[in-house]
Amino acid sequence: MRSQDKRRIATLAAYAIVLHLLERMIPTPIPWLRLGLANIITLLALIIYGLRAALFISLIRVLLGSLFIGTFLGPGFILSLGGALTSTFAMAGGNLLGERVFSPMGLSLIGAYSHVLTQLFLAYLIFIRQFEAILWVAPFLLTLGLLTGLLNGLICIKVLQEIKG
Amino acid sequence: MSPDQEVIRMLLRVIKSTRPLDWVLFVVLLSLSLSGMFFAKTIYPSGNWVLIEVDGKLLYRFSLFEERTVSVKGPMGYTTVEIRDGRVRVKDSPCPEKICVRQGWIQKGVIICLPNRVVVRVGGEDNRVDAITG
Repeated sequence: MRSQDKRRIATLAAYAIVLHLLERMIPTPIPWLRLGLANIITLLALIIYGLRAALFISLIRVLLGSLFIGTFLGPGFILSLGGALTSTFAMAGGNLLGERVFSPMGLSLIGAYSHVLTQLFLAYLIFIRQFEAILWVAPFLLTLGLLTGLLNGLICIKVLQEIKG
Repeated sequence: MSPDQEVIRMLLRVIKSTRPLDWVLFVVLLSLSLSGMFFAKTIYPSGNWVLIEVDGKLLYRFSLFEERTVSVKGPMGYTTVEIRDGRVRVKDSPCPEKICVRQGWIQKGVIICLPNRVVVRVGGEDNRVDAITG
């Protein structure tokens, strides 16, 4: 990896961590609601620099973010890591179809949905062996994820427009 | 141009960059999730019992209509569950984010505390009892 690439990844990862920490300070009316703003950065990195940069950034964000918050290796960390990895790969898959199929908005929706699905799956597998309970919360979390995914996708488009001028 | 118009212009420019398939995906996934919500609400059994599980094991089964406060021990410490007036809530929890506490009172459905592995749900005792009590 060239030092220029390293610098770019480090900068974007720093942005992602700041967004990640900031959104935890915003009080939300719904306890389950997570804005997932850091995913804007992962998505931008994916579109501009490719899968490798996006993976690095989301991994750095999950690791350092959890160290700052104090959830490293806890249940939240495992869900966070799983969600980040699958959503990054899923968005990369959508991106492979070309920009005529999905804009960043579509990619963001794919990312958000796969993120929530992975977390539900992991929560069931590792923490709550209660299928009914997972089934009860799943539709709520997926709907919230879609709405935040839409928002983040549109922000991502806006940022790309600003970059291109 | 007024600031409002500028915001609208910016939004339109962003929306113009989206693709038809983005919105197809959005509508499909949203209707899937919303119908899931409706489905869960209607088929979920509304029962007269509060079932408290820790780590997948059923610890307590209380009537929803008997006032009671109980603490259950999970990996992080004690979660306090309160039952009153036909409703149940997690009153206190050692978990960092307190999502379970913030969910407040429920009459139906579940409260999950992932960090402390506690599931509080409202349901029937089991199918046999449901059949007898109607």
